Amino acid sequence: MEAYLLNLFILISIYSILGVTLNFIMGYAGIYSLAHAVFFGVGAYAGSFMAMHFNASIFVTLPVAMVAGGLLSLILALPALRVRGEYFVAASLGLQVLAVTIFSEWKGVTGGIGGLIGIPPLDIAGFEIFKPSQFIFVTVVALVIILFIINRLVHSSFGRSLRAIRDSESAAAAFGKNVPLIKTISVVISSALTAVAGVLYASYLSFINVESFMLDTSVLIMAMVIIGGTGTQAGPIVGAALLLILPSLISYLDFLPQTEIGSIQQIIYGLGMALLMIYRPGGIVGRKKHSETGKE
Amino acid sequence: MVASHTGTQDVLMEIRNVDKAFGGVKAVDDVSMDLRAGIITTLVGPNGAGKTTLFNVITGELAKDSGSIKWLGNPINRIKPYQAARAGILRTFQDLRLFSEMSVEDNILTAVENNSLPLPVGRAQRTARLERVEYALDRTGLSSKRKIRAKDLAYAERKFLSMARVMATEARLWLLDEPASGLDPNSYEKFLEILREEVKQGVTVCIIEHNLDIVIGISDRIAFLDRGKLLADDEPQKVLNDPALRAIYFGERT
Repeated sequence: MEAYLLNLFILISIYSILGVTLNFIMGYAGIYSLAHAVFFGVGAYAGSFMAMHFNASIFVTLPVAMVAGGLLSLILALPALRVRGEYFVAASLGLQVLAVTIFSEWKGVTGGIGGLIGIPPLDIAGFEIFKPSQFIFVTVVALVIILFIINRLVHSSFGRSLRAIRDSESAAAAFGKNVPLIKTISVVISSALTAVAGVLYASYLSFINVESFMLDTSVLIMAMVIIGGTGTQAGPIVGAALLLILPSLISYLDFLPQTEIGSIQQIIYGLGMALLMIYRPGGIVGRKKHSETGKE
Repeated sequence: MVASHTGTQDVLMEIRNVDKAFGGVKAVDDVSMDLRAGIITTLVGPNGAGKTTLFNVITGELAKDSGSIKWLGNPINRIKPYQAARAGILRTFQDLRLFSEMSVEDNILTAVENNSLPLPVGRAQRTARLERVEYALDRTGLSSKRKIRAKDLAYAERKFLSMARVMATEARLWLLDEPASGLDPNSYEKFLEILREEVKQGVTVCIIEHNLDIVIGISDRIAFLDRGKLLADDEPQKVLNDPALRAIYFGERT
């Protein structure tokens, strides 16, 4: 039971990183990406590649993974950020589909469909993190650092520029914002931080394959952000916890027919999401539908 | 305002033979005019005369088909909107385009920040920016609303916030697109007072306005556009007393 909970919390903190980094571009810059799992995957594969062939130290794997994630995001960002909202969603969907093909075919790096096995554990200055009880500490620290970085960014002039662009792109440009550049930087930062989650995930499981980095994962991360509360600090973490705990809770309900548990989960998810968006479109942590501010 | 000093000021912006067509319709048709430093030039003309299009062409929001524009003597023919802003040319929008989810003070603060990179700014620069924000809040009477989201403001307050974003910057030229439309008489008196004060301090203004009282009250010079053509660009009395222009303005086309 303890091992089970530990595993759950580790996954929650890794998915929280994914949610927090997606929320940075979605909630503050209004960039809706369906390719977030790609950068999760790039981080995982790049980190694993370094760990397996060169050096497992996080001072090697993390920077390489972050640079790989950041550079790859430029491929998406440079052409796609010149188009508006819904076109970016379509472009990111295209990248997601393309990336899954590369992940399954580039055997030398990704191990193909079969994936990579025997990924070394995290190595922090010579200290290898094997035990889940130690690993949870690492993932939580990583989450806290990433939250801190994003919090600082959001409350800086850069964060205000992002929100201005989200609210009115033309007005932001009219007040001196280089909109394509600022959007590109935000996507690169988000993707580089996402790659950190990939490194942690790969070294925690010591096994990865393409199934963890497909469109379902991108959709799941987006659902975590929306359900928790887009554009809020705690929302993505609440969303990640909820969507990972819920399946386990449902499977503990004895009176449900065990064979139908999968479909029941889907029905509960679907209903929950629809009701939430009707009654609380800002998410669990977000503002209520009718704002109370401004009324005197 | 004193009309006699027009024409003697330095030319800040020189617009020459500018054309802009949408499909077959010439929205701006061979317009040439100068915007002179330290005065208020009002653009008047019926709906669809090309006034807003001219603003869009000046700031680079729309690419012109031909013609040239000089700013402080330098050509700015391929300028982008963010470059125009950094060069000191700011505009407001008829539909305001506030940063609606952001607070009043963040709307103004972000307007004075034009650094793209996520790097820390120095304390002195930060203090200077915050002082500009305070100044704009104070002048527009929005100080008590600073924490309120833009979208939760009343209509007149939203108009003043649109002005405050421009006032806080150090832009030399303000292009204001119907900033006073829909304001009650009290609010627009206040608006005119703010505008006169800023011009006295050296700002140059080009304003699109329909309300004749306001036009008469603030203009140092009036430029009259109709169907994309500049029909007059002169002292207010001359333009307003021209029977042909009056006929167009009041809808009695001949």
